[in-house]
Amino acid sequence: MPPIPLTRRAMIRAGAAGLALGGMGLTRPAAAQVPVALQLSWLHSVQFAGSYIAQDRGWWREAGLDVTLLQGGPNAPVEPPVVAGTALIGISAADYAAAAVAQGAPFRIIGVAMQKNPFAIASLPDNPVRTPADLPGKRIGMAVANTPVLQALCTLNDIDIADIQIVPTQYSAQPLLAGEVDCLLCWETDLPVAMETEGVQARTMLLADHGYVLHSQTYIATNDSLANRRAELVALLGGEVRGWDAYRADTDAAAELTVRMFPDAGLDPETQRLQARRQVPLMFSDLTDAQGFGWWSEESVEATIRTLSLMGRTVTPDLWDRSILEAIHG
Amino acid sequence: MTPAARWTGPAALLVLWQGLALAGGGWLLAGPSEVAGWLWSNPGLTTRAVAVTLANATCGFVLGNGAAIGLAVIAALWPRAQNLVAGLALVVFCLPLIATGPILRVLMGPGEGPQIVLAALAVYYTTLIPMLAGLRAIPSAWLDLVQSYGRGRWAELVHVRARASLPYLLAGLQISAPAAILGAMVGEFTGAERGLGVLTIRFTRDLDIPALWSMGVVAAGLSIAVYAAIGWAGRRVLPGTPPVILAPPRLIRGSPARRLADTALLAAAALTLWWAGIELLGLNPFFVKRPPDVAAAFFGSPDTRAALLDAAAKTLALAVPGYLAGLALGAGLAVLLSLRPGLAGLMVPLAVALRSIPIVTTAPLVVMLLGRGAAGTVTLVALMVFFPTFVACQQGLRQAPGPILDLFRSHASGPGRQMLHVRIPAMLPALFASARMSVPAAILAATVAEWLATGRGLGNLMALSASVSDYTMLWLAMVAVTLISAMIYGGIAWAERRVLLVMAPEQVRP
Repeated sequence: MPPIPLTRRAMIRAGAAGLALGGMGLTRPAAAQVPVALQLSWLHSVQFAGSYIAQDRGWWREAGLDVTLLQGGPNAPVEPPVVAGTALIGISAADYAAAAVAQGAPFRIIGVAMQKNPFAIASLPDNPVRTPADLPGKRIGMAVANTPVLQALCTLNDIDIADIQIVPTQYSAQPLLAGEVDCLLCWETDLPVAMETEGVQARTMLLADHGYVLHSQTYIATNDSLANRRAELVALLGGEVRGWDAYRADTDAAAELTVRMFPDAGLDPETQRLQARRQVPLMFSDLTDAQGFGWWSEESVEATIRTLSLMGRTVTPDLWDRSILEAIHG
Repeated sequence: MTPAARWTGPAALLVLWQGLALAGGGWLLAGPSEVAGWLWSNPGLTTRAVAVTLANATCGFVLGNGAAIGLAVIAALWPRAQNLVAGLALVVFCLPLIATGPILRVLMGPGEGPQIVLAALAVYYTTLIPMLAGLRAIPSAWLDLVQSYGRGRWAELVHVRARASLPYLLAGLQISAPAAILGAMVGEFTGAERGLGVLTIRFTRDLDIPALWSMGVVAAGLSIAVYAAIGWAGRRVLPGTPPVILAPPRLIRGSPARRLADTALLAAAALTLWWAGIELLGLNPFFVKRPPDVAAAFFGSPDTRAALLDAAAKTLALAVPGYLAGLALGAGLAVLLSLRPGLAGLMVPLAVALRSIPIVTTAPLVVMLLGRGAAGTVTLVALMVFFPTFVACQQGLRQAPGPILDLFRSHASGPGRQMLHVRIPAMLPALFASARMSVPAAILAATVAEWLATGRGLGNLMALSASVSDYTMLWLAMVAVTLISAMIYGGIAWAERRVLLVMAPEQVRP
């Protein structure tokens, strides 16, 4: 084999290319305001449109915050960035927050975005699931991980879960459309919307209408932040409250803003508009009309604790802390 | 191959694909015409996603291969360190991406960090192993010459070993290029803002089948392009074909006592790095677990142990058949094409395409097509193992010594006999090398299918543990996956030595 020229010049060239690559991404403008991060629980979509409105209209900037919105994803950690202090507030559901607390995370729930739990059972009109009593004998497609959810629904409605055939599926509407299952356990706001966009009108039954009370899309913060960073918590959550009030006033505008802010997210405008409308009854109620966005009642805390106990999780009302919301709405 | 024959294969595949799409249709399969239509109407979105994923994959490729070259050089300068370096490198390579992803995200925060690191982790091992072999692939007379000039190991490395290793390095770089894209895409699942992986998740949920298949096609096209580009660059730099990646098992050798001591040293080094790394970086015990935490969970809690062992059994029940099928298919196809070269035009592009499509895109598609039973997962694992085995075996078959083939021909032995008695024995070292290297890939494929599609086994256990903050279980599963991969690797290395001592003794002599 003839020798291969390994000249100094070639090496220097390669090294310079490497340095140039390494140098990218080091520049970051200095921020005059307090930098804080909000950890979202899923990919950017209209699910978090209230935050985008607050960001877009500069409400956080006015309050002295430079807010970064951290996207979630199928393999993204949500609670750890809050524990580690990377994010000041995280968006988690009461069951995940309770699980993290059981593992030693020092969390409190400081706001509830989804008063009604978004879990639903979607079916097709010619073989509908209208009430839990329709479930026995059906094949339900769901992630095995969500078995405690179905178990809680069955216990609340005196149904034997053994009468339902659980088919483990990926989180997609495809098994229902292909006839592999009779119904799906999914969120009211995603797979049914995907089917509607594809021209299939699915029927949905909200678990929340059948006793499954569990706060979802809850804002979590650590005890340490509640003790030492109250002003920032009030400013961050205050922006959320303003953002979601504006969202409710015009959901189409919120969907349009979402698509515009995240051109690389592959968002379909029609899907976002439909999802934005479907979220409203889950997030707003007479209670929030009276007390303000994010508020919760003592009864719903008790009911959430009851649902969690059916799922094998023991929590106390101490998990909830309303002092930040009181400061905002006070 | 004539130009016409070269294009017949891909063209036939396109026609077959379109036919299947027209026949199978709704909610499953988008044909080439739909994919082309979608790409035509979304050029900006596609280009930006490709740019981000490719940039991260490139950074990871450079970092990972840089690390591999550095480690190989260390091993060449201090041969005593070689067992430890190769062993630790194997341990790190066996870490499951599903578990390392979220942990890296917490450690590195927002940005491109996890995507780049996962890409680097996905590539370095397939470069390190051929590099280690290449640095040794020299006639001892050259080393004698260096020594007779009174020069040391450094001069030996610069003047002799570096040049000898270049063909091996290029072969390693070529194999690792598609893996970098896969690593970057898995990294995007941990909360990246943009890229092909992010779009794949979005379109799966939205049930946008043409968009989903377009992502698969783009990712596969990208992988094939970088694979071909490095192959082309390699042929420009080097005369002749790159060598087959023959790295005889180096992991642990010598007497049983020596092997035991080396294994213990490796385990101690891995545990020390793990524990000391946590203490030095001051990481939060909520999501970072130390060796005693993990040991206490395994030995102290029967429920945890039962859940882990049950998941591991489910994963292995599908990973092992898929792995064996992939090896058999790869070796079998190589043998078939060697006997019937005319089929190569059809099979080679298909083989490259199947292997290059990043598994995170293929997993949902294969499971959609084959269902959620065992078939989907077994097929995915087999696909992952098939291509490297096929390439290695093809090169191995060409290593058959000419004089022996001449002897067979002079006795009027047909191609079948030559295959059985000369070519297949000559292929065995390559088959074994590929079998060893494919172990972590097979486990990766099985766990990814479980995580994204079937919801069972270790893949699901890791994803679920992370979502309910059960980080002790996540670390325990990570240790289990790593141990299982390393033990299977060791078992194959053991079998390899036994077989090669008889069939190809020149490969295993020190």
